[in-house]
Amino acid sequence: MTMNIRNITKTLFIITIILSTIFIPQPSLSKPLEIEILMPAPFAESTKELIANFNKDKRRKVHINVTRGPLETESVSDLAISSLLLGKSPYDIILIDVTWLPKYAASGWLAQMDEWVETERWNSLADGAKEGNTYNEKIYRWPLVSDMGLLYWRTDLIETPPKTTMELLEQSLQLKRENKVRYGYVWQGKQYEGLSCVFLEVLNGFGGEWLDKNNKVHLNSDSSVQAAKWLKELISSGASPRSVSNFTENESLQVFKSGQSAFMRNWPYAWSELQKEDSEVKGKVGVTTMVSQTGEDQTATLGSWGFSITKSAKNKKLASEIIKYLTSESAQKYLFLNYGYTPTTSNLFENTTLKSNSPILANLKLALSKTKARPKTPLYAQLSDVLQRELSSVLSEDINPKEAMYKAQKRSEEILSSAGKLK
Amino acid sequence: MIILLFIPALTLIIFAFGLPIIHYTWLSLHSASVLTGLKLLPNYGANWIRLLNDQRFWQDVVQTLRFATVSVSLELVLAVIIALILDQKLKSIGLIRAISLLPWALPTTIMALGWRWIFNTPYGPLERLSSFIGLGSINILSSPNLAWLATVVGDVWKTTPFVALILLAGLQTIPDDLYEAFRLEGGSQKQAFFRITLPLIEPYLLLSMLFRLAQAFGVFDLIQVMTTGGPAGSTESLGLYAYLNAMRFLDFGYSSTVMLASFILLITICLIGWVILIQLKKVSTIFI
Repeated sequence: MTMNIRNITKTLFIITIILSTIFIPQPSLSKPLEIEILMPAPFAESTKELIANFNKDKRRKVHINVTRGPLETESVSDLAISSLLLGKSPYDIILIDVTWLPKYAASGWLAQMDEWVETERWNSLADGAKEGNTYNEKIYRWPLVSDMGLLYWRTDLIETPPKTTMELLEQSLQLKRENKVRYGYVWQGKQYEGLSCVFLEVLNGFGGEWLDKNNKVHLNSDSSVQAAKWLKELISSGASPRSVSNFTENESLQVFKSGQSAFMRNWPYAWSELQKEDSEVKGKVGVTTMVSQTGEDQTATLGSWGFSITKSAKNKKLASEIIKYLTSESAQKYLFLNYGYTPTTSNLFENTTLKSNSPILANLKLALSKTKARPKTPLYAQLSDVLQRELSSVLSEDINPKEAMYKAQKRSEEILSSAGKLK
Repeated sequence: MIILLFIPALTLIIFAFGLPIIHYTWLSLHSASVLTGLKLLPNYGANWIRLLNDQRFWQDVVQTLRFATVSVSLELVLAVIIALILDQKLKSIGLIRAISLLPWALPTTIMALGWRWIFNTPYGPLERLSSFIGLGSINILSSPNLAWLATVVGDVWKTTPFVALILLAGLQTIPDDLYEAFRLEGGSQKQAFFRITLPLIEPYLLLSMLFRLAQAFGVFDLIQVMTTGGPAGSTESLGLYAYLNAMRFLDFGYSSTVMLASFILLITICLIGWVILIQLKKVSTIFI
């Protein structure tokens, strides 16, 4: 009898357990919605904690998966394009570079984001951060980080940074003559996108323009020839090493970080690199905007990465909310304090915590107010490629800047006119 | 009935080669770019007319030919020497053979990064060596006249072991008796090389040359990593140009045109080479 009761209780116990697993709703078992994001490796690294925090909160029933893209900008583009060409991209959100937007939007790969962007939120962006998110006056991208070209200088060598092209050249030569540095000014002279960025700043500094609003090219102009001449002169006069014509951001940073040069043109990311323990110039670096000719505006080429939603994304509204989370003010603060990412919202530049943590916030704000975007056309890659080739021939060969700019103008016009025919 | 047995291989060839070629030909007759929203619009040969007038394409043809001929000929000469060494009957020859194959086993991108570093100014080892000797800065990768030679060095370093391997296989098919008989008749070592070795490994030389020419003509990864086509576009190969058109400019119509044109060029070059070789053989049989 006792045996029987024990057996019955046992069976009942087992039955209740089985029934409870079936009937009691279990939140952990329902599958969360998955959102796939493609980011270049450095961004995947820096947003890791933000994403982990998001995924921890199970109430949202959304899980973000991040695909770590390659390190190099162009390799990320290859991966993104290959996935988008499928028609059904495996990614819902892609972090894209500012120059890709017109190309991607024209190819019909991106979803319009206007309906999820309130006017108020749009207006909260700093002016420089508003640039490069639209195509045909529709929003296709939301910025994660502001990015613009900066001139880094050594506070232990000079009192005030140069403002004009002349000053930069002369100070470089002077400091070299005094044997204070091995090289004067290092920048990006290799035939690649970085060279176009460098040139755009100098071109504006000489009062010139690359492509105007009516899609007219202005490379065959006096200012453009002068700008190219000045870059060549930097090398021929010895203000910049000859090898600068094969430098990317990385090589420039290495030279400057090891204390071998007085000036460097680079993006804001370099600042946190220069503050690391292995840096020879830690605490001896200032940041300013690129030099210009007397009387002309100093300008900074607009970089910046931002999130776009792919057209094939299943849950676009959800994707837009995730973007909102990753670019919120608290996320921006976190990214600035930990990774030196320049904020995109204008009032953060006045934030006291951020200010006390970074001596260069004011300089970043100034530079961001002087940004200039690269030509916004789906044909940008071709135009930039033509310019890079010609500039590279000016810097590494004995090609006359005038001749090179004439050729760049002609080729650019051919590209644009062949495009006109197609439309 | 025998034809039935060919069917599996034939279908494979059709799917692996035939269909892509037809697809590319079709694409090359259309505008399919970012401006057409990636839709295919027939443009009645406009891509091909553009190609004929495209200076950059012809410049790349010259560069690709220059790169391919110089690197393949260097590889063949070096590979003969290496293969002769590897054919020696030494104690640890197995180990030596394995080591000599290492460069070929490395992924191209990785070894290209290595060479970029070696040629790097001002930190590369080569630069340090040259300033140590007193030559000053050489700056190879910044010079449009020299940068392509740097890519040739990279290519030769990587692929010579592959050619040597094929030639080694050829060398091992030559029976020792031949050399013995030749020595008995009073022939010298040098004569043995030119009269026995070279003629007998000739088919292997031709085979590896064909392999390598086709590969070198389509070179992409090495150039992309080492120079990205610069400086001043001097190292840009046809493969790189086709890639740029497709993946950067999103002009798939023109990219296919470039690809097809380089394919046609390669076949023409191989045909010309073949005719020249046959003529040379005729001449040599008369004189020797």
